[in-house]
Amino acid sequence: MKLSKFLLAGLVAATSFTVSAESILIKNAKIHTLGSQGTLQQSDVFINNGKIISVGKKLTNSADRVIDATDKVVTPGIFAVANSLGLAEIDALNQTVDSVTNDEMSGASFNLDEAFNPNSTLIPHNRVNGVTRTLVSPAYSSVHLVYGQGSIMSLNGNYNPLIKSAVAIFGSYGESGSGRVGGSRATALKELQTLLDEAREYADNYEAIFAGEYRELGFSIDDLKAMQDVLNRNTPLVMSVNRASDIMTLLRFAKKNSIRLVLKGAAEGWMVAKEIAAANVPVLIDPLDNIPRSFEALGQRIENSSLMNKAGVELMFLGPGFQNTHNAHTVRHSAGVAVSYGMPYEAALKAFTATPAKVFGSDTSYGKIMSGYDAELVVWDGDPLEVTTSAVSVIIDGELVNMATKSKRLRDRYKDISTDKNTAYRK
Amino acid sequence: MKNKFYKTAIAALLSAVVVSCADDSEQEKEIIEPFASRYQVQEFQPVFIKNATILTAAGEQINDGAIYFKDGKIVSVGDDLSEPSDDDLQVIDAKGKWITPGIIDVHSHLGVYPAPGVQTSADGNEMTAPVTAEVWAEHSVWPQDPQFSLALAAGVTSMQILPGSANLVGGRSVTLKNVLGRSVMDMKFPEAPHGLKMACGENPKRVYGSKGRAPATRMGNVAGYRKSWIQASDYKKQWDAYNKSVEAGKPGKKPKRDLKLDTLMGVLNGEILVHNHCYRADEMAVMLDIAKEFDYKVSTFHHAIESYKIADLLAENDVCSAMWSDWWGFKQEAYDTVPENVALVDKAGACAIVHSDSAVGIQHLNKEAAKAMTSGVNMGLDIKAEDAIKWITINAAKAIGVEKQTGSLEEDKMADIVIWDGNPFSVYSKAEKVFIDGALKYDRANAELQPVSDFDLGAVKPEENRL
Repeated sequence: MKLSKFLLAGLVAATSFTVSAESILIKNAKIHTLGSQGTLQQSDVFINNGKIISVGKKLTNSADRVIDATDKVVTPGIFAVANSLGLAEIDALNQTVDSVTNDEMSGASFNLDEAFNPNSTLIPHNRVNGVTRTLVSPAYSSVHLVYGQGSIMSLNGNYNPLIKSAVAIFGSYGESGSGRVGGSRATALKELQTLLDEAREYADNYEAIFAGEYRELGFSIDDLKAMQDVLNRNTPLVMSVNRASDIMTLLRFAKKNSIRLVLKGAAEGWMVAKEIAAANVPVLIDPLDNIPRSFEALGQRIENSSLMNKAGVELMFLGPGFQNTHNAHTVRHSAGVAVSYGMPYEAALKAFTATPAKVFGSDTSYGKIMSGYDAELVVWDGDPLEVTTSAVSVIIDGELVNMATKSKRLRDRYKDISTDKNTAYRK
Repeated sequence: MKNKFYKTAIAALLSAVVVSCADDSEQEKEIIEPFASRYQVQEFQPVFIKNATILTAAGEQINDGAIYFKDGKIVSVGDDLSEPSDDDLQVIDAKGKWITPGIIDVHSHLGVYPAPGVQTSADGNEMTAPVTAEVWAEHSVWPQDPQFSLALAAGVTSMQILPGSANLVGGRSVTLKNVLGRSVMDMKFPEAPHGLKMACGENPKRVYGSKGRAPATRMGNVAGYRKSWIQASDYKKQWDAYNKSVEAGKPGKKPKRDLKLDTLMGVLNGEILVHNHCYRADEMAVMLDIAKEFDYKVSTFHHAIESYKIADLLAENDVCSAMWSDWWGFKQEAYDTVPENVALVDKAGACAIVHSDSAVGIQHLNKEAAKAMTSGVNMGLDIKAEDAIKWITINAAKAIGVEKQTGSLEEDKMADIVIWDGNPFSVYSKAEKVFIDGALKYDRANAELQPVSDFDLGAVKPEENRL
């Protein structure tokens, strides 16, 4: 026993740098490719070296592992968006939360990449439920209107989680935003304009600025630097906003400044859906939220997603309210609710896979089940939007994910409590 | 036993008996029960729904079944009913549809934390002292909260509205029928007992500890509960003695009334049910010991994230657990989540409930129960729809003391009934028609039968109603 373990360890150590992951053949699945092949019935996916090699019927590739997916469904892994996965363990314990800062110098330049902890218990908890990547973002700010960058991280659980850094810059407008800057939307809008104006000044005068031969600017050099990608349209500005008139203000603001805009929240988005669609502005919403929770969200309604979709707005889904980090995976159920109120099925599925990949970058390697794409997908035991469906296999970087979680360990320790109360030594 | 005695005592307090002591120098006035329910069952024609799949919450799934109700009450349920002959009978063919009892949420703050969520109407937490047993949630309920109608459209027919969890003892809860009224009394569930909100753990110790006063620790919490129960026991002793003297025809000195102790005495007398916000298993065990020390019963632990760790103890003590299907991690006492929690509690023979504590969650309790069921099934437990439906109906009714009136589809119970457009445990299913006491109070297909609060009226556009 001991000897064989020792030998195995030696073998793994000796070969782990040269041998790549095993090849996998998924057989007989219903596959939502989200690509030109559409939805395939009883089809196969062959995976090797971290990539999807082929997708089709009756594939004959020999594989190290075969997964029989009869009556099962394959989709790209869930792309959770705008949360604190890896950046927060317990919301109410500030010392475990890195997605918020009150540093006045860190607005648009606030970048979370190095704060991400791949060993957070939230990572496996969401991963076994189908989340394979996330766009982490600053949670909020009590200081800035524009308060930091979002990056795409893998839930692969290793120390190289970064997929793409600084793909978006986050901010807010309306009730919460104006509270930070003079108490009025009018002062908030002025502040936003000043940020962009100073960022332009910085681009045109940075030599003089560094030489100390320029007037003092209101924003930190780091923030103005960070805004360059917004000015040159590489990076969208993601603005939390709810009131219809505020959405219109931001659409005009984006047009005037020629920047890319994404709306987040958009409680009254359906009221100006045509205008949002015409401006080609994608929207991030929590499709479960139908509560008129503030005077700027009086028009909030459950049909918001389907009405915006109908008007041609490109939609991405957030998980449920304050649980969008710990339970980011349940975004698929929220998508199911959106479908029950009229959102087309495939658009709802894309709203937490392909669409965020398209909006925030990375759609050339993720978001479709097709040859050449990253092998990052989930095998479900039924309709992935259904509440009675579960993930049975999750694949990231071409490798099968270990399905253990802390929750399952606790469950197994206590499941027979009625017959055996001696839990402390039950590992 | 306790119950009966208390009722007699109250009767003595309340009216004629007291007036009879003619030479009492204090002029005894007849005391009327304040804030009594003024809910009225709406008259409605008899209804016969046929060809439905029925989850009775009494243990059965009836395929191709029918249900007949009139005058607010269920007359019969089964798979062999013949159409009754009432002249004005409304017959609904529910082929392909499902029927369940009205959904009951044992943990809601609708009305006390209404929408919009602004400070001026955030009335759920009397955070001015750690024990505020004297406050009643019903006095904070805003009947025009637009969230009530959203819950109704999701099949919720009754709910317990609780004070928040800032305090060790937060005050009385109230159980409401989900009907709009001009006052909370129009909504109060007739004959439903009051609940008492208590809270363990982080919230009270944070709220008061941060003000530099007790409690600042969990041991401070426990000392706080026990101090209150000692006061309440003394108070009860005084009233018991007084009531006895009145019964004996020799009235002694009447104790001075204390609103706070009235409520706590109600618990000791078995009239008010304890609803205890408590996440951690070890704290629940401590709370059960306090209940034994002062001889009262805990009806339900709420937010009971760790009930699975003491499911045997909860079954033994006949205590319900009100749980989420998957919420976790927002604070440390919510860290040891297990999605199988509800199923494991149920499996141990304890009373399992899925609750919301959320204006959004209350609209998806059927799906939350479905998720909890799925977690249980995945670990190999035998749980069917006819079992899981109990978590949001009859078990919830039991927790708030209305299980004899509602919560299951059985003869003579209130006709609180939902017709779903499909299996209620599917993400795609919606409540189509909702009956409360036999009257159609919500119809998805008929805008005339969708209630609109004052707040909703013309809120977004003057000529329209907020949705």
